[in-house]
Amino acid sequence: MMYALCDATSMYASCEKVFDPYLRRKPVIVLSNNDGCIVAACPIAKRLGFKKFVPYFQVQKAAEVAGIIVKSSNYELYADMSSRMMDTIARFADDVYIYSIDECFARFDNTISESDWYELGLEIRKTVWREVKLPVGVGFGPTATLAKAANHASKKLPGATGSFVLCSDKQKQRILKQMAVSDVWGIGSRLEKKLSVMGISNAYEFSQQPAKRMGKHFSILVENIVRELNGEVRIEWDGVRPAKKEIYSTRSFGARITEIEQLKCALSSHAEVVGKKLRQQQSTAKGIIVFAHSSPHDSAPMYRKSIYHSFAVPTADTRNFINAVTNALTVIYRSNVRFYKCGVGLVDISDSRYTQDDLFTPSNDNTELMKALDGINDRFGRQTMYFAARGIEEKFKMRRDFLSDCFTTRWKDIPKIDCT
Amino acid sequence: MLKFIPIKAQAGLVGFESPATEYTEQGLDLDTLLIDKPSATYIGLAQGDSMTGCGIFDGDLLIVSRAEPIIDMAVVVALLNGVFVCKRIDKVNRCLLSDAEGRTPYRLTEGDEFSIEGVVTRSIRLHKKLSHQLKK
Repeated sequence: MMYALCDATSMYASCEKVFDPYLRRKPVIVLSNNDGCIVAACPIAKRLGFKKFVPYFQVQKAAEVAGIIVKSSNYELYADMSSRMMDTIARFADDVYIYSIDECFARFDNTISESDWYELGLEIRKTVWREVKLPVGVGFGPTATLAKAANHASKKLPGATGSFVLCSDKQKQRILKQMAVSDVWGIGSRLEKKLSVMGISNAYEFSQQPAKRMGKHFSILVENIVRELNGEVRIEWDGVRPAKKEIYSTRSFGARITEIEQLKCALSSHAEVVGKKLRQQQSTAKGIIVFAHSSPHDSAPMYRKSIYHSFAVPTADTRNFINAVTNALTVIYRSNVRFYKCGVGLVDISDSRYTQDDLFTPSNDNTELMKALDGINDRFGRQTMYFAARGIEEKFKMRRDFLSDCFTTRWKDIPKIDCT
Repeated sequence: MLKFIPIKAQAGLVGFESPATEYTEQGLDLDTLLIDKPSATYIGLAQGDSMTGCGIFDGDLLIVSRAEPIIDMAVVVALLNGVFVCKRIDKVNRCLLSDAEGRTPYRLTEGDEFSIEGVVTRSIRLHKKLSHQLKK
């Protein structure tokens, strides 16, 4: 058995280049929602020094000077390109687990030689490039964690070809020694710090720790990672991610808002989003956090207010969330504040199947109504039916000044082909 | 490709089930007929009259497959210096050929930005104007 991790290089920037031929050889960066931060930079832009996670306004001037092409996130396009990429990769594997919009794990049940795996990686890469026009890197390993490390090596190491096999002990030692502990899948920077105190400075030293001891010291998750680095399969995907312990929906406004009605509409729409997500994972929430704040970049002093409300009984009914938001609003809103961002979070989440009823406070959840609401929106498209609290006309639409066309999902946007 | 929700036609009659019931949701779907590999296929809009000789007219829809092998003289979509063009590919002479009276072949040179962006597998003529607006 073999695992592979395939991921697209600078996915969003690469997607922008597929159907806009003018961009192919140009430096391209993609901005986050509301054009706030850089979320992707193509290799050409990277070479010019433009990096991910930098606020756009900080580099705007430099980008203009360098002739950088700036794009807003076009999720409709990326989602379609992503499914094309995943479908293409799936043809090669026995099973595929889509891990995020730009990466998937593939499982192979057969056994072939190391050099044949390497060739297969090149073949997958070539096919995805030919058929979808996205550049992908492929890393193979006997466990998902090693596949992830191999993927890292397929791109980052000198002489990288986009395909890498991490099987032999010699190879493992060589590669893991070059990787920081935080480059290992599942190890965060906080854990890295703790490990460095213990004198563990790279992924190889980490893999040499007794797994049991790591488990005792940290958690079973860390123990599993150590075992996986030694070729023992511990992480099996079954198509289900663990349910989230908290669910947030937040967004900054395209333009600052000052009206209470606008803030209410925005918060209500966040309440809808978290409600839907909560029901999707069959959970209920006992607490809700509602917050709004102004921008730290504005001249006025920063204003930030956050309200926590605890429900008498756990709920999954959007009407309760909207009520909580409306009540919180009277405390949060200030007439002279220019609000920049707001959001709603559900916390204290538990599985709705094991929720205990309260003897004195019966639940007011209308499960059937919520089921009908979600059913309609699943079938006829998001936002077919929504709460009036959210407002009919969205005044807080996302700012996406540099949005590309939806070349593959909207008829009016299909690519034009010159026959003159 | 473009997704829609199949809705069963109902006659409003009850009594016995139509013997054709299990076929009602099938319908005729042009995607299945015209598109061999959806993940590698895209649809473009032809603009211009240089390919009328092979039946491609201004305003036709082109179904383009990136999975198709590129054989000599195939009608392809290519990226030529920042623009998508539709031409016949003459692999032997490294030329792009138009398919209409009085057009000269375009010989590819070192300095050209060029790549083949798929083979035109089908083209669709819109004899009556669409209710959608395709051109902007």
